[in-house]
Amino acid sequence: MRLIYFDHSATTPLDPRVRAAMEPLLADVFGNPSSLHTAGREARAAVDRARSQVAELLHAGPGEIVFVAGGTEADNLAIIGALSASGPPSGHLVVSAIEHPAVLATCEHLRRSGVAVTEVPPDADGILDPAAVAEAIRPDTRLISVMAANNVVGTLQPIAAIGAIARGHGVLFHTDAVQALGKVPIDVSTMHIDLLSMSAHKLHGPKGIGALFVRKGVALAPIVHGGGQERGLRSATENVAGIAGFGCAAAIASDGMASEATRLVALRDRILDTLASALPHAYLIGHRYKRLPGHICLGIAGYEGETIKLLLALDEAGIAVSTGSACSAHHAGEPSSILLAMGFDPIRARGSLRITLGRFNTDAEVDRFLELLPRAVAALRPLAHQAQLERSLC
Amino acid sequence: MSATTVEDLPGLNCGLCGVRTCAELAARLPTQPGLLARCIHLSDEGVAAEGTGPAIPVVRRPIPLPQAGMPRASWTDTLGREFDFYLEHFPEDPGPREIILPHNPMLTRELDVQVGEVLIGRPLGMSCGCPITHCGVAVDVDKRNGVIVWCVTGPLNPRQKGYKDLGYYIAEGYEGLITESRTDPKIGMRYYFQPRMCMLQWRHSGLVNYLNRVPQGWQVRLEGLWIG
Repeated sequence: MRLIYFDHSATTPLDPRVRAAMEPLLADVFGNPSSLHTAGREARAAVDRARSQVAELLHAGPGEIVFVAGGTEADNLAIIGALSASGPPSGHLVVSAIEHPAVLATCEHLRRSGVAVTEVPPDADGILDPAAVAEAIRPDTRLISVMAANNVVGTLQPIAAIGAIARGHGVLFHTDAVQALGKVPIDVSTMHIDLLSMSAHKLHGPKGIGALFVRKGVALAPIVHGGGQERGLRSATENVAGIAGFGCAAAIASDGMASEATRLVALRDRILDTLASALPHAYLIGHRYKRLPGHICLGIAGYEGETIKLLLALDEAGIAVSTGSACSAHHAGEPSSILLAMGFDPIRARGSLRITLGRFNTDAEVDRFLELLPRAVAALRPLAHQAQLERSLC
Repeated sequence: MSATTVEDLPGLNCGLCGVRTCAELAARLPTQPGLLARCIHLSDEGVAAEGTGPAIPVVRRPIPLPQAGMPRASWTDTLGREFDFYLEHFPEDPGPREIILPHNPMLTRELDVQVGEVLIGRPLGMSCGCPITHCGVAVDVDKRNGVIVWCVTGPLNPRQKGYKDLGYYIAEGYEGLITESRTDPKIGMRYYFQPRMCMLQWRHSGLVNYLNRVPQGWQVRLEGLWIG
């Protein structure tokens, strides 16, 4: 049975073209990019090429890209680095209440050092109001961090508007664009972004490599100390093959972004339209359109406590989806903090099914999913009687 | 706002509306104005009204229960004890919906209980302890664990149609509607409530473990039931 993979917000399969780009760097081109000999210079060239490819995806300069180990490290470097740039961490930080744990846990860490943090909740659609962010700014605010797209609900945040507010107040603006990168156009200049976190494995690149965009002139303190690689911001011998893979993945995403978005939106809409009649008590969580092209966050009224069983039933049938965020899968018994922040009650907040489509998904796979999901739901035991569930959505 | 030309659109050609380019979207707007609501870059203001609206419902946070209709409720039972809301049965059901378990769950299988059959029994001891024998019609039967969902009806049914006797059962849960309440019910909270059809008009208490806003008020499920 061939796996149908609908969990692209957790991670994506490696694109064969990316693998091909990485292979020479895992074999013949093994030099240390810091070395001056030929082997080192070859590796350096591969890193520089990838740096340009990643920068192009953001309309940034190559000198503004710092390679790190992944999205989590990029978030840590951006937030801790910005608040520690001129001494011990201090001041005030504004974040959204629906950030990835890589941001929220970092904020918690900084709180213990005396940094004040304000969390701005989203509206019921899972989208932040830029005016609410503006209201949270204080005279000692040093950084605003709002993700470009939410990992659980898939909603797109108004980062251009928030960036303009931050610029107007003279506050740095960081966005965790791990989910949005390569799916949504990002221009760091027009969106007034100072710091932007990326991860390669969310766009069909390899795991273990990410990057932070650091606008030229923005002061940042490193969180990893050593040999001074990556302009002193991230010491460690570069993951050359990973970097080359990231560059290739960025170039592929950049080339086909609009056509891929159109295709994924069509698949997404077909799923939603079909489920509207096949599962009348299903409901979409988050804004209907302001969301990632292949992202569906689904609740099924009366079955919210059963989504783990649904996930397992689909898995048995060869379809991979997730409940909430993969990063919190070890805490599956806890309601999603993101849905709680959106105002859902604790039962509904633990009951979302995340279906995220990607580059290699096909119409036939969507057909199979649409055939199996209603069957899997019918085999569950709802908390409230099914005959009454449809009324709840009037 | 009524953007109908390509100049009114963002020009990013991002494809996120489902149409490949802004020019193509602009060309389709005269005949499909609802498409404009799909542009993620335009403000919602003035756009939503032109949208066709999603076929699948988008659920937002629950809205508070309106307090209409409260004056006719007295909020005390026949023993003078206060309660928080009335529990009504679903209008399409023949009576209040209960989830019950015979004291010997094997009885469900031994009696070969079928949907539509008339049953009688008394909710013994823990979980209600009601002195009244109940009659009802089975609407769902799970023979693996003995759980029966039935709608409680009057005694006329068993007299006319015959019945299967459960003897004693445990009332595990109620499902119904809250149309009159003096409080906003919350999931996870225990409440005193008055089943509208209770012959004795005694208050019951139970834990709300399902709550959904519906046009009539709230659809609710209560478990952990007690009389009083």
